[in-house]
Formats: sequence, C-alpha cells, structure tokens
Amino acid sequence: MKIRIALSTLATVCAASMAAAQSFPDGPITWVVNWPAGGGQDTTSRLVAEALTKELGVPIAVENYDGAGGLAGMRVLAGADADGYTIGMLGSSSVIQQYTTDAPVMMEQFSVLSFFGPDPGALSVGAGTDFDTLETFISMAKEAPASVINGNDPPGGASFISAAIMEAALGLELNKIPYKGYAPTVTALLGGEVQSATVPIPQVLEHNASGDVRILGVMAAERHFLAPDIPTFAEQGFDVVAGDFRAVVGPAGIPDDRLEILSNALVAVLTSPEFVEKANAAGYMIEPLGAEAASARIATFDTQVYPVLEAAGLVTNPRK
Amino acid sequence: MLDVLFALLFDPLAMGLCLAGVVAGLLFGAVPGVSSTMALAVMLPLTYGMTPEHAMMLMLGVFFSSVYAGSVSAILLNIPGTPGAMMTLLDGHPMAQQGRAGHAMSYALIASIVGGLFGWVFLTLTAPLIAQYALKFGSPEYAAVVFFGLALVAYASSGDTLRGVVAGVLGLMLGVVGRDAVTDVPRFTFGIPNLESGIDIIPLAIGLFGVSEALAAIEKTPPKEMPRMVRLGSLMPSWRALLSEAPAALRSSSVGAFVGAIPAAGSAVAVAVAYSIEKRLSRSPEKFGTGLPRGVVAPEAANNACVGGALIPMMTLGIPGDSITAVLIGVLLLHGLRPGPGLFESQPDFVSTIYIALLFSIILTAVIAGTIGIRLYNRVLMLPRRILFTGVILLCLLGAFAVRNSFFDVWVSILSGGFGYVLVRLGVPILPLAFGLVLGPVLEENLRRTLMIHKDWSAFFERPISLTLIMIALAVLFGPFFRSLIRRVGLRRR
Repeated sequence: MKIRIALSTLATVCAASMAAAQSFPDGPITWVVNWPAGGGQDTTSRLVAEALTKELGVPIAVENYDGAGGLAGMRVLAGADADGYTIGMLGSSSVIQQYTTDAPVMMEQFSVLSFFGPDPGALSVGAGTDFDTLETFISMAKEAPASVINGNDPPGGASFISAAIMEAALGLELNKIPYKGYAPTVTALLGGEVQSATVPIPQVLEHNASGDVRILGVMAAERHFLAPDIPTFAEQGFDVVAGDFRAVVGPAGIPDDRLEILSNALVAVLTSPEFVEKANAAGYMIEPLGAEAASARIATFDTQVYPVLEAAGLVTNPRK
Repeated sequence: MLDVLFALLFDPLAMGLCLAGVVAGLLFGAVPGVSSTMALAVMLPLTYGMTPEHAMMLMLGVFFSSVYAGSVSAILLNIPGTPGAMMTLLDGHPMAQQGRAGHAMSYALIASIVGGLFGWVFLTLTAPLIAQYALKFGSPEYAAVVFFGLALVAYASSGDTLRGVVAGVLGLMLGVVGRDAVTDVPRFTFGIPNLESGIDIIPLAIGLFGVSEALAAIEKTPPKEMPRMVRLGSLMPSWRALLSEAPAALRSSSVGAFVGAIPAAGSAVAVAVAYSIEKRLSRSPEKFGTGLPRGVVAPEAANNACVGGALIPMMTLGIPGDSITAVLIGVLLLHGLRPGPGLFESQPDFVSTIYIALLFSIILTAVIAGTIGIRLYNRVLMLPRRILFTGVILLCLLGAFAVRNSFFDVWVSILSGGFGYVLVRLGVPILPLAFGLVLGPVLEENLRRTLMIHKDWSAFFERPISLTLIMIALAVLFGPFFRSLIRRVGLRRR
C-alpha cells in the first residue's frame, strides 16, 4: 500500500515536472509568411505548418503579409514577442535586403530555427536560340558583352542574384531584363522576348520536357531531384553555385529551451518520409538542418552574395 | 470527358464542395473590399486534405461566383470590390438609385452567366491555340494594350474627356509610388516603409468610391430622414429587354475571353474595352452612365468570360495570368500537379475535371444567386440606412485592413475617401483615377522593359499588334479634338 502511494506520488510528480517542461507550446502559434498566398513561400509554409501542427499538438495559423518586397512581413516577425509563439519563413531576399534597403530588417533580429531547403538556380534558354550547350552559351556571351538578353527578377531578387553570381564567376555580361516574378519571366522565355532565364528548375521543368526550353545547367553542388539528367555547372567545368533557399526563424531572443523544442520539432517534420514525399511532389527540395547548421548556411550565403551586390552597385546600406 | 462528368455528378462530396464554394464566393465577393484572390486564399488551407479533383470543384466554385458577386457591391453600394467590377458601377449604381436595383442585379447575373459560359466554351475548344496566340504578346504589346485600355477609360467615363484625362494622370502618378519594378529603387515613399510596396488598389477604391459616397450622403440629407439607400424594385426585366442585350453580351464575352487569355492584362482592361465598345456602337452613347442596362451587361459579361480565358495560360503554359490563377496554381502544386503543356497529355482526365468543375460552378452560381442570393442581398438593403451605412463603412475599413494585414491601408482608405469627395465636388470623375493606379505600373514596367530590350521607341510601331492598339488609342483620345477642329473650320468657311 505504502509502496503504491509512493509510486503514485512519484508518478504525479514526474507527470507534473514533465508537464512543466512541455508546457511550451500550450497555445496557437502564428506563422508569418512575408509573401502573398499561393506563391512558393506560402505553399512551403503551409505544408510545414500543417505537419508541425500534428508534431506539436497546437494549431498553427499562417498569416500572409504582403508588401514592401517581403519587408512588411519581416518587420512583423522581427517585432513580435520572442516567446516562440510567432515564427515564420525567410529566404535569400531577406539576407539581400539588409544591404539594399534604407530601412532594412537585419538578420541579427531573428533567431534561426531550422533550414528548409535550397532552391537552386538554373540556366535555361529558349528552344529557338543557338545555345545548344552551356559552353556555347558562355563563349557567345563572352564574345559580345551584354548581347544575350536574360530574363530575371528585379535587382535584389533571387533569379537576378543568380544571374549576377554567374556573371561574376564566369566574367560575362548579360542584358538583364527584370520581370515581376518567375511566371512572367518564363512567359517571356517561351515567347522569345528573352533568350535565357535564370529561374529555378521547377518553373521550367514542363517546358524542358515539351522541348520549348532547354535547361543548360543547374547552379548547385548536386543535380536536381526533379531533373536528374541535367548536369550541374560544376560537372561541365564551370564553378557556379547560386539560388534561393528557405529557412524557418523567429524573433531574436527566444528562450533556449523553447528554441530547442521548435527546432527539434521542425527537423522531425522535415525528415519524415511522408512530408518529404509531399514536398518533393510539389517540386521543393528538402534539406533539414537544425538551428546551428542553418545559421551557418545563411552566413555562407551572406558572405557569397555581398560582393556580388557590391559589384552590381546595389549596396545602399554597406556592411559595418 | 463524359465519364469524368458522371463520376463528379454522382459524387455527393464533389457536388457539395462546389456548392459550398459557390455560396462562399457569393458571400465573400459581395463584401466590399474582399477580392476574389482573397476569397480563394481564405479557402486554400481547406483543400489540403482533399483530392485534387475535389479541391478544383471547391476553388473554381469560389472563383467564378466571387467574380459575379463583385457586381453586387458595385451596383448597390457604388463600391467596386475588385478591379473587374469598376466599370459595372457606372450604370449599375444609377439603376439602383432609380429603384431598379433588382433589374440591375438580374442583368448582372444573366450577363455573368452568359459570359461565363462563353469563356468556358472558349477554354474547352481553343485552349492550346489561344495559348500560342497569347505568347505573341511581349512587353511592347502589354504596354500597348494597357495604353489602349487607359484611353478607352478616359473615353468611356462620363463627363468631358479632359477631366477624365486629368483623373487618369492623377492615378498614374499615384501608381508611381513605391519600389520601381525595374530598378527596385523606392520612389516618393518619403521614408515611410509602408509606401514601399505602393498604394494598393483595394483600399484606394474603397476610399474613393465608398467612403467618399458616405461623406456626400451625410452632407446631403439630415440623418433623421435618411431614406433607404436603394430600392430593389422588380426583379426580372422583360424577356424582350433581356433579348435585346444578347448581342452586347456576346460581344463583351468575346472581348473578356480574349483579354483574359493574355497573361497579366486582366479583367480591368477587359471591362474597360467591353464597355467602350458598347458605348461606341450605341445609337445613344450619352445615355451610358445614367443607368443603362447595357452598361451593366457589358462589363459583367466581360469579367466573367475572363475566368475561362485566364485558365487558358494557366493550364496550357503553366503561367498564372493574374493573382487569382496564381492561387489556383498553388493548389495544384500542393497536390503534386504541375500545370503546363504536359498536363493535357499526362492527365487528360484532370483537364476534363477542371472543365467540368468550371461548368458546374457557373450553373450553381446561376441557381443559387438567382433563387436565394438576390433576395438575401435585398434583405440586407431593408436595414435602416443609418445602420447599413455604418455597417458598410466598417466592412470597407475591415476589407482595407485585410488586403495585407496592414493598418496603414485603413488610413489610405480614409484619406482617399476625403480626396475622392473633393474630386467629385470638382466634377472630376474618379473612375479613370482608379484605373490609372491599377494599370499605370503595368504600363510603366512594360514600356521600360521594351526600351531595355529593343533600345528604341520604334519597337512599338514595328510590331503589328502594338501598332494597331496604339493607333486606335490615339484616335480615341484625339478624335473629339479633331472633330471639333474640323467643325470649327467648316463653320468659318460658311
């Protein structure tokens, strides 16, 4: 009897202490998306949020903040209470705007929770062009500087940066024409208004299959899982690695224990085969990394992109 | 296609979802400030657990019915919920004020259904062909088509062309605010971060049309004896009256379907073109803007025909033509479906599903709006004017906030309300201003891109499509001036 009471007391104490440790999260979490509904950032956010709801057992409300090229949502996220109940997703544009905006949100204002995955850039050309291989493209672009018309984002956007990194690495000069996002860029490539484009693989995959577009190379260390027959730049002898990425962050100053709970839950979600299958089917590459590894990846991108921005004359808020 | 039709027809869940989508679209779309894009975005998370077929039934139901329902707030409240409904208020609201709101809403519904069916036929029969034609549109053509649209708005809006042009230029100037789409440099933002993404059309339109109307109404009548805002009157116009609108509805539908198929042109251009063509063809163009049924039929047929048109580039090229189809592509991607040229070969049944889902959405919209919808909207109108007005203003400001979750946009609404009131008092039409804000950035972006690619203005005049559009636009803008010049010269001779 005594033993039973002792045991039950012990059990109660244990349960109570576990409850205290696991009292986070005990309410709904807000997930900030700094782009409108329907885009890549939104689609991936909603996929993760749905799985994370099951993992953490609390509802996750996705909120879209459109505006100021993604800055509006970043301001909301950076300004939220650092209690772990407001998190969100950021991409390469968030790193870039630190140096190209007059009133930027700095990466120091965030605590990184996990990496979602890269979205490598690629070089595609219209089927009607003379560029049969990456090599001919590069040699012809070098022969007549600024003669090749390339479709990309406005300055500072991911596919603009991919083009600029390629220019810097290979010593080329393209006539970079800005379009508002990937969809109009691909339209221009199909219609022949631009000769090449630096948008990621999923955007041109279908058109490559139908023969309207040729993908000449992927700007990543490895081939893209959706297009395993398309070689990387490095395989063809050109050292170009560029593209967008996605990471999950919260405002800076989230207590360590909460940060760990969120980070572990995110990595668990991102490694589950069910989630990976779903995300891959939607065209997204997954690379689950915890808080530290993700911070390192973002820092690497930062070091790589800053000189490119500087060379392109885009830096208005120089690094101190 | 027939097997897919029957499979969906006898699937109670699929039909239920389509019905739910239509009802949600009718409710969302009728609320001033809730655009079709927003309605779809709200419904988006519900589609996760569904099969792609069920998701399409729900989303296309929301899409089509919300485009129709945008006419409701335009007619009853003089507030366009979406850019596609901006032309409808020109004649729809005067009709409502004359006690013919019922007629106006019936005309809008029937025209929407005709337009929707026309767009549907256009989509199913010509999709791959039209996709190739749409690709012929490059930056010079986009710039020309937008210039054309703006010229037609100046022509179509009531009052003299000069005041219309002034308002249009004001709109273009407001459209310059924000980050420049070509160089990404902020312009006229005065250090206010919220201005960096520019002035959104929804809060501006809510203010210009809704808040300014409220201000004018408060000034006009002492609050004690405020009458009901509008009267419904009888519902159905006579068959003869309806039939006489048929040619206009078909003309406008074809305009809508074609313009809808051009990526990025959108329903704002379509309604402007359709309305102007009808005004031009009419024997009594001066009656446009005073409550002419044709002024409701033309834009409503056009913007609903746009739905079928906008699905063409989405399905055949995998390119969203506007923000609404962008959300739809998001839904498909979530289910691992990649729209594009391969979709027709690899998933022919799914293509049929989209066709059939749109058809069901059109039919259900007709049934629900025709039997319950219009009567329900009337119920709301029976509320005392004071309560209704307060409710409308609240909904308006809520809608302005909801566009991007930003309180800043509420201030934009309130300020543009005051601005719109002043313009109305000065006799400056506000419609061209709203169009200028919507179309200005598109015009500028494509104009500058053309110059970056071709390095010469001649590009606009060497390409047949842009040359034709620019010539017609110039004729429309300067036609009245030359006509009066010729008349004056003729008088002097006599």
